[in-house]
Amino acid sequence: MQLPESQVAVLEAASADEATSIDALAEATDLPPETVTGAAFELEEEGLVEVSERVDETIELTDEGHEYATDGLPEVALYEAALEAGADEEPVSMGQVIGQSGLEGDAVDIALSNYARKGYGSIDSGEITADPDAEPTADAEANALEALADGAVGTDDDLEEVIDQLERRGLLEVVETTTRDVALTDEGVTELMGGIETTETVGAVTPDLLTSGEWETVEFADYNVEADAEDVESGTVHVLRQMSERVKDVLVGMGFQEMDGPHVDADFWINDCLFMPQDHPARTHWDRFAMEEPSHIDELPDQLVADVERVHREGLGEDSEGYHSPWDEEFARALALRGHTTSLSTRYLSGEEIGEIEPPARFFSVEKAYRNDTLDATHLLEFYQIEGWVMAEDLSVRDLMGTFEEFYAQFGIEDIQFKPHYNPYTEPSFELFGTHPTTGELIEIGNSGIFREEMLEPLGVDCDVMAWGLALERLAMLTTGAEDIRDLHGTLADLEFLRNAEVTY
Amino acid sequence: MPTVDIDPDELRDLTGTEEKSDDELKDDLFGLGLEFEGRTEDGAFELEFAPDRLDRLSVEGVARSLRYHYGDSRGVHVPSTNSADWTIEVDESVPADRPYVTGAVIRDVDLDEESLDSLIQLQEKLHATMGRKRAKGAIGIHDLTMLKGSAATEGNPTIEYVGVEPEADTFVPLDADAEMTPAEVLEDHPTGQTYADLVSEYERYPAIYDDLGLFSFPPVINGRRTEVSTDSRDLFVEMTGTDQWTIDKMLNIVCYALAARGATIEDIEVSYKDHDLVRPDLSTKTKTVPHERIETILGIDLDPDEVIDLAERSGLEAERNEGEAGNLVYEVTIPPYRVDVLHPLDVIDDLGRAYGFNELEPCYPDVGTVGGRHERSRLERATREQLVGLGFEDLLNFHMINEAENFERLDVAPGSDAYGAGEPTTIKEVYSEDYTMLRTWVMPSLLMVLERNTHRSYPQYLSEIGFTARLDDSENTGVSENRHVGAVLASHDAGYEDAKARLQALCRQFDVDLETPPTEHPTFISGRTASVVIDGEEVGVIGEVHPAVLVEHDLEVPVAAFEFDLEAFRE
Repeated sequence: MQLPESQVAVLEAASADEATSIDALAEATDLPPETVTGAAFELEEEGLVEVSERVDETIELTDEGHEYATDGLPEVALYEAALEAGADEEPVSMGQVIGQSGLEGDAVDIALSNYARKGYGSIDSGEITADPDAEPTADAEANALEALADGAVGTDDDLEEVIDQLERRGLLEVVETTTRDVALTDEGVTELMGGIETTETVGAVTPDLLTSGEWETVEFADYNVEADAEDVESGTVHVLRQMSERVKDVLVGMGFQEMDGPHVDADFWINDCLFMPQDHPARTHWDRFAMEEPSHIDELPDQLVADVERVHREGLGEDSEGYHSPWDEEFARALALRGHTTSLSTRYLSGEEIGEIEPPARFFSVEKAYRNDTLDATHLLEFYQIEGWVMAEDLSVRDLMGTFEEFYAQFGIEDIQFKPHYNPYTEPSFELFGTHPTTGELIEIGNSGIFREEMLEPLGVDCDVMAWGLALERLAMLTTGAEDIRDLHGTLADLEFLRNAEVTY
Repeated sequence: MPTVDIDPDELRDLTGTEEKSDDELKDDLFGLGLEFEGRTEDGAFELEFAPDRLDRLSVEGVARSLRYHYGDSRGVHVPSTNSADWTIEVDESVPADRPYVTGAVIRDVDLDEESLDSLIQLQEKLHATMGRKRAKGAIGIHDLTMLKGSAATEGNPTIEYVGVEPEADTFVPLDADAEMTPAEVLEDHPTGQTYADLVSEYERYPAIYDDLGLFSFPPVINGRRTEVSTDSRDLFVEMTGTDQWTIDKMLNIVCYALAARGATIEDIEVSYKDHDLVRPDLSTKTKTVPHERIETILGIDLDPDEVIDLAERSGLEAERNEGEAGNLVYEVTIPPYRVDVLHPLDVIDDLGRAYGFNELEPCYPDVGTVGGRHERSRLERATREQLVGLGFEDLLNFHMINEAENFERLDVAPGSDAYGAGEPTTIKEVYSEDYTMLRTWVMPSLLMVLERNTHRSYPQYLSEIGFTARLDDSENTGVSENRHVGAVLASHDAGYEDAKARLQALCRQFDVDLETPPTEHPTFISGRTASVVIDGEEVGVIGEVHPAVLVEHDLEVPVAAFEFDLEAFRE
C-alpha cells in the first residue's frame, strides 16, 4: 500500500492498544498538529485508524477570581472588620464597618450579599452583627479558589457544589476542549504489518512527471505560500529616464517633434542667436563650462553671423535699439557645454538642422544642459532640460497659457500662475508657478515667453514662436516627492535607491 | 537673480499707502514681478527681481512703480533740471578703454540713515547689474561742499577726468587712514584688491581731480575727503565707464531716485576733446506701436482709449496716430529711466502687465501638427528596454569626468588605439578637479557606480546608454559625440560567458551579426578579451575586467563587461 508521507508517519506513530492524542502524535512525527489532524481523517476514511473525540472540561479563574484568590473574598474582609468593630457583641453601624474594611464600589454589595448567605452575621436597619462562631478561615469557596489558583484541581464530588457556586459568582469559567485521539484499527495493524510505502511528494512539476503520466499519482508537497521569497535583482529603467519618457509621450501626443543636436556647441548658437548680449552676466566665465580643447567652432553660417551682429548692435529698424554692448565674432565662435538646450531651438529655427521649417510647427527636446551651479539638493552641474516651442502665425499670450496649462495638467499640476518675467530673448516672458500636489506650496515650474523679433528675424523666421523650458529633475521631484536631486541623477547613485524607486507612468 | 532690500514702512511713506498691510504689499509687489524672498535682519523685504527694470533697484523706484500700479500716478514725469554750473573736463590721458564720463549735481538733499542706506544700495545694485561689476560703468557720489573747482572755463568750476600713473599721486581712500598711491590701493586696500583686475592692465589709471587734487579713483574707490554723510546737502555724482549710453542711463536712475526724495537736479557739462554734452540726459524716447500687434500678442480686442489708459498706468504716454499702411498706431513716450525698452514689443509687455496677464483666458492654439520622436531617441529607448529585459539596472551618469577616472584608473592611455581611449574634450579653467573633461566612454562611470555600491547586494548588473565625446577634426565643432551601450556584470561568479550571452541576445534582438575575435585591451584580462564586431564593423570591446582595475576600484568580485557604439544598431 502507498500512502503520503504525513499519513505514513501518523500511522506508524499511532498504537492499536491505546488512543494517542493529536498533540502527542504531532510531537512524535514532528509535523504541525493541523497536518496530523488532516492525515488522521484521511486515514480514518481508509479505515486504518479510528479517531475518537472527547470533550474535556477545564476550569479557569476569571480576573475577579484571581483577584479574590490573592486578596481574599470581600465578605471575609467585611466579617473581619465587623469583628474588629465589636459587632460580635452588639450591632454596629454598617457605614463604620464598611469604612474599616476598605471595601469600595461593587465589592461592598458583593460582600453584603454573601455575608448573610454564609451566616457570618446579620444585617438589619443599617446595622451589622457578626456571628462569633463563624469560621471564615474554613470558607470552602475561599479554599477552592486558592486551590484553583495554584493549579490543583480536585475531582472530588464535594467540590462540585462549591465550583457551581463560584461559577455563579462569576469567579471561574468551565472551558470545554475537544481532544481527538487516534487509535489503529485492526485493518490498520494488518496494513502496517504488510508494509506501507511512502507516496512520493514532489516539489516541482517536471517534464518527466508530465510526460510519464506520473503526475496522476504523486502528491504535491505543500508550500508555505505566505513566506517572503528571495529578492530578485531585476533590471529597471532609471527613474529619471522614466520621467523623461513620460514627458516625451505627453509632448508627442500634443503634436511636438523631437530635436537633437550637439552638447558642445558654439556660443553663437547657445547665446548670440538668442539675442543674449555678449556682456550678459550669464555669459561670464563663472556660469558656464567653456571648452579648452577644442576651443572654437570651425564654421558658422556667414549671413546669419552678419545678421545676428547687426541686430545686436542696431536692433531691428528705426524703432528698435540694439544692445550697448560689444559684439565679437571670435567670442561667438567659442565652444562651451550648452547652458540650455535652446541652442537646439536656434539651430532648428535657423534651418541649419533640418532645413527651413514652415509654420505651424511644434518642436521639443528633453536633453542635457550644463550649468556651473553649486551642487546641492536642488542643483546639479548637469541636468535635463525640457524645451519646447510652437511656431505659428499670430500667437498670443493666451495661446501660450493654454498650451502650458494643457502640458502641466498631464502631470497633475493644475491652476498654473503666470508671473510676468524678463528674459533677454522673449517678450512677453513668464515664470510659471504651480501648486505642489502634496505640500500645496507655490513653486516655480518653468520659464516661458514669446521669442523676440530681434531673435527671430536673423534666423529667418517671420511668424511668432512661443517657447518654454524647465528642468526635468524639478518636475520629477514635484511628481515623485524626491527631496534630493542627487539621488536621481549621476555617478553618486545609490543602487538601493534606484532598485526601490517607485515606477513612474 | 538679483535681490533688492526694501523697508516696507518707507515704501508706504513714499507711495502714500499707510493702510496697506505687509501681506497686501507683498501681493502688489508680486504683481509687479518682485517676488518676496524673506526679510533681512532689520525687517526689510528682500525682493527678487528680473534684471530688466533696473529703475526698481531702490525703494524710490519701487514706490514709483507701485504708484502707477495703484493708479495714483499716470503718464510720464520728467524732473526739471537747473542749468549747468559745474563742468567735467576729459583729459587725453584717460585710459582709451574707459574714456566715458557723465555726472550731475544734486542740491538740497535731505539724507537720513534710511535714505542714505537706500542710496548706497542703489549704487551697489547698479554696479552689480548694468555696471557689470563696475567693468562697464562705475558710480561715485561725493559731498559737493568738499570739492573746489577752479574757474578755468568761462567762470564755471571744473572737475578733471584724467589718467594718472600708478605711483604718481596719493589720496586717502575710503576706509583708510593714510595717503596711498593708486598702485598701493590695488595692492593693500580690500576694495582695491577686489577691483584691481579692472584697471591693472592700464598704463595710467582713471582718476578724478578738483583744485585740491585727486579725490576719486574710478572704478575702484572714492577718496575720504568727499565722503557722503547724513549731513551732506549737495552732492556731486560722477560715473565713468566703457559705454556712454550705459552710464547715462545709470545716472538717470540715480537722479530719479534722489528727485523722488525732493532733491533738485542740476545739469553739468561734460567736455570731451571734440564735443560737449549736457548731462543728465533726461530726454524721452518714442516707439511706434501698431494697435493690431497689441491685440494679436494679448489675444484680445482692445478699445484705443483703453490702450492709452493702460500706457499711462504703465508710466508711459500713448498718442493715436496713423501708420504707414493707414493702420492705427500709437506714438508711445518712454521715460528716461527705462533701460529695457528696446523694441515696440517691450511696450506691449508693459500694456499686458497693466491689463493683468492673469486676467487673460488661456486658450489652446488651434493649429494642428504631427508629433514624433527623433530616430536616435527611439533607438535608445528600444535598446534600453532590451537591456532592462536582460536584467540590467539602467543608469544615468554624469557626462563630465576627470582624466584619472576616465583613463588612468582603467589603465587606458589617452589617444591610444584601445576602444574608449579617444582624445579628450577638455573644460577650460576648471572649477572642480572632478570635472575636467567629457567622458570618452561609459565604462569608467559604470565602474565608479560599482565602486560606490560595494555595500549593496550582488549580483549588480548595470548598463547605460550614454553620451560620450572625443576630439574629431572632421566635425564642425571639433567634437565627435556618440552614444555608447555599456554594461557591467558584477557577481561572485561573473565571467566572460555571462557578458557574451547577453551581448548575443541583444544582437539577435536587433537582427545584427555579432562576431567576437580575440583582441587585447588594457582594461581587460588578456586572453579573455574580444572586439565587438557587428555586421563586419569593429564597434566595441567585451571581456573580463582586469584584476588590477578591479582592485583599483575596491571591488572584490569579478566583473565582466562590454561596450559598443549604439550606432551599430541603426539600420
